Amino acid sequence: MSERIYMLPFWLRAWHWVNAALILVLIVTGGSLHFAQPDLPLVPFALAARLHDIAGVALAALYGFFVIANIVSGNWWQYVPKPGGFIKRCLVQTRFYCWDIFWGRPHPYPPTLAANFNSLQQIIYWFIMYFFMPILLLTGLMFLVPEWAPQRVLGLDGLLPIAMAHTAVGLIITLFMIGHIYLGTTGLKVTSLFRMMITGWHEH
Amino acid sequence: MRHLVVVFLILLLGTPSALAQTAGAAPTDPALIEKIRKSNAECLGCHTEAALKAPPREGMDLLKLKTLLVDPAAFERSNHAGMECKTCHGQTANEYPHREGLTAQVSPCGECHAQKSMRIEAQYDASIHAKHLKGKFTCQSCHDPHLYKVAAKLGAPSEIVRQDNAMCFDCHESDLKFATFGDALTPPKRRPDLDDIHEWLPNAKLHWGAVRCVECHTPVSPTKTLALSHEIVGKDKAEKNCVACHTRDTALKTRLYRHMVTEEREKLGFANSIILGDSYVIGATRNAYFDQFAVWSVLLTVAGVMGHGALRVFTAGIRRLLRKS
Ligand code: HEC
Ligand code: HEC
Ligand code: HEC
Ligand code: HEC
Ligand code: HEC
Ligand code: HEC
Ligand code: HEC
Ligand code: HEM
Repeated sequence: MSERIYMLPFWLRAWHWVNAALILVLIVTGGSLHFAQPDLPLVPFALAARLHDIAGVALAALYGFFVIANIVSGNWWQYVPKPGGFIKRCLVQTRFYCWDIFWGRPHPYPPTLAANFNSLQQIIYWFIMYFFMPILLLTGLMFLVPEWAPQRVLGLDGLLPIAMAHTAVGLIITLFMIGHIYLGTTGLKVTSLFRMMITGWHEH
Repeated sequence: MRHLVVVFLILLLGTPSALAQTAGAAPTDPALIEKIRKSNAECLGCHTEAALKAPPREGMDLLKLKTLLVDPAAFERSNHAGMECKTCHGQTANEYPHREGLTAQVSPCGECHAQKSMRIEAQYDASIHAKHLKGKFTCQSCHDPHLYKVAAKLGAPSEIVRQDNAMCFDCHESDLKFATFGDALTPPKRRPDLDDIHEWLPNAKLHWGAVRCVECHTPVSPTKTLALSHEIVGKDKAEKNCVACHTRDTALKTRLYRHMVTEEREKLGFANSIILGDSYVIGATRNAYFDQFAVWSVLLTVAGVMGHGALRVFTAGIRRLLRKS
């Protein structure tokens, strides 16, 4: 029998799954909007626009909750890259994914209560949650309320750079989601990490 | 071209008033320009905001005059700039008190624009307004001949949108003006609120500033030489499909941006890049390079994780075999 520790409080797990569901809706509807084509509608344009607006505002509100809950609970500390061989730890972690994993070797930095994320997760999650997400939310809100966007930029409509940034960051988060979901299968068993995100218990 | 029009006009027009002004619009002969300026100054001596403040004579119906003002600066920007007021209003229009029914006797559009009018009238007769408000609704209900400028000459799409939507707003945003026509119907019709009717269109106000009502409320022009059909259609035929505009092959380029599509259209990989000067239109102004990058990066990432997964399954199998042997 493997060992178990209770790592993830309920609020964090609840946030995680709602966040994930909203982002999936946003990816599918955002893609339908951007690649709108009469003969190939993934989600019909009008429906996609409405769902995207609702899910977008919900995600913005949820992000507010996430930031506050992280401050209150002290969970934000998990995301901060720690000094003392940070780069080396990232390299070891990368080597694990590129090589050691195929040899069945154990995770080099298994999660503990004090350090939930490995260094690679820390730096990537930090960028996603505290750099890309705010850009996505701000550009999304400007899209929603165009009066907040600049009127004109370089002689073109001011929404152009906003839309480009929004779509580009949307793409980055889409790529992250693909990798993120896949890495979820790299626990002790294929389903271990998904189960942890549901029950809060980590097996190792 | 202009000379042809002028000659055509002279030949065509039987009315002495029109013949008197031989040069048509925007004459180039300075003496003629001065003559027209003087003639128009007579009318503008009474029919302007300035004249209303200091009436040139006593005993005029100033309350009525207040509703009959012409903006000379706007007139000089219109299609009919440089024309003499009397060309349309008759040679005796300057005499005051005016003769009876001055407005009713004004030259109809078709008198000078015979060919275009003939085609337009056929479409117009099929429109909601002509069918329901026959007799009351005319070309002038939409086209103020002292203001209107044809889209191709206005150039900037934002200006075109503002001018052409102002025509419709004039009635469809004003209970008072709408009632002067709606009351003639049986039963009388009250103005429906535009935002309520178009509640299904997100950001309706944003759309009003970027596209014209006629983009959705007219069919594609059956006559190539005319910029749009004059057949205004109601809810059964109006365009409700977002993707008519919000796609790469957008209807906007054959409608609002029709007169600009001869210009460069794919600058820096942006589809319909001419639109970007005025509007960012989701789906229509997308960038081909970015799209290719996006599709490939997603495909490669998916392929990458699938390859990684397959390798994990494969090596796990080998390890199991090795352990057994
Ligand atoms: C001396 C002032 C004066 C001059 C000059 C004048 N008008 Fe008028 N006009 C009026 C007034 C006042 C009215 C309001 C109705 C009325 O009293 O007849 C009016 C009414 C009109 C009407 C509306 C008539 C109707 O029955 O509704 C038209 C059209 C018009 N004028 C055109 C012209 C044109 C074109 C000229 C120049 C060729 C001109 N006016 C010169 C004062 C003037
Ligand atoms: C191309 C023809 C044309 C020219 C040129 C023209 N008008 Fe008119 N004007 C009309 C028509 C048509 C109407 C009737 C509008 C309507 O039915 O509401 C009109 C109406 C008017 C009215 C009555 C206002 C109203 O809203 O009913 C006035 C006053 C007037 N014109 C003054 C002038 C003056 C002053 C000039 C010269 C600066 C001028 N017009 C030049 C065609 C013309
Ligand atoms: C008395 C003659 C006359 C009347 C009546 C008249 N116009 Fe004109 N219109 C002209 C002239 C002259 C021009 C200038 C032609 C040019 O510049 O090529 C013109 C130009 C135009 C143009 C621009 C044409 C183009 O293709 O560039 C439009 C549109 C137009 N008029 C609409 C109208 C409408 C609508 C009416 C009725 C409310 C009307 N006109 C009444 C004489 C008239
Ligand atoms: C319901 C409002 C409405 C009515 C009524 C209306 N028009 Fe128009 N008209 C428009 C709009 C909108 C345009 C488009 C503006 C443009 O392309 O310049 C236009 C354009 C035109 C043009 C320029 C078309 C071109 O391709 O050069 C002419 C000429 C014209 N109208 C004449 C008429 C005549 C004549 C009548 C009456 C039989 C009439 N209009 C009735 C709204 C109207
Ligand atoms: C002079 C006033 C006036 C102007 C200008 C005008 N409308 Fe109308 N419109 C009306 C009235 C009155 C009705 C009601 C007719 C009815 O329901 O029988 C109407 C009806 C309509 C309808 C059909 C509504 C229905 O219930 O069936 C549409 C669509 C429409 N207008 C569009 C436009 C557009 C687009 C423009 C500008 C190009 C325009 N209108 C300009 C007065 C106007
Ligand atoms: C994006 C396309 C679009 C634009 C732009 C648009 N409309 Fe409409 N409009 C429609 C459709 C579709 C309907 C029918 C809605 C429904 O099914 O209830 C409609 C309905 C209407 C009606 C009621 C028609 C009826 O038969 O009951 C009026 C009046 C009207 N529009 C006027 C306008 C005016 C004025 C403008 C410009 C300010 C405008 N529309 C712009 C698509 C459009
Ligand atoms: C007649 C063409 C046309 C139709 C039909 C149309 N749109 Fe638009 N739409 C535009 C234009 C042009 C803009 C750009 C507005 C601006 O300048 O910001 C726009 C803007 C938007 C925006 C704001 C984001 C952006 O691209 O600037 C949304 C959201 C939107 N449309 C949704 C819809 C939906 C949903 C429908 C169908 C129910 C629809 N549109 C139908 C022309 C259209
Ligand atoms: C992972 C999350 C998200 C992705 C992948 C995404 C993607 C996209 C894409 C691709 C478009 C089309 C843009 C174009 O073609 O130019 C779009 C439009 C839009 N996005 Fe997002 N987006 C996301 C999150 C958000 C959020 C959080 C908000 C709001 C705060 C938002 C608000 C909008 C708005 C308002 C539009 C304009 C269309 C509409 O009104 O529905 N998006 N998004």
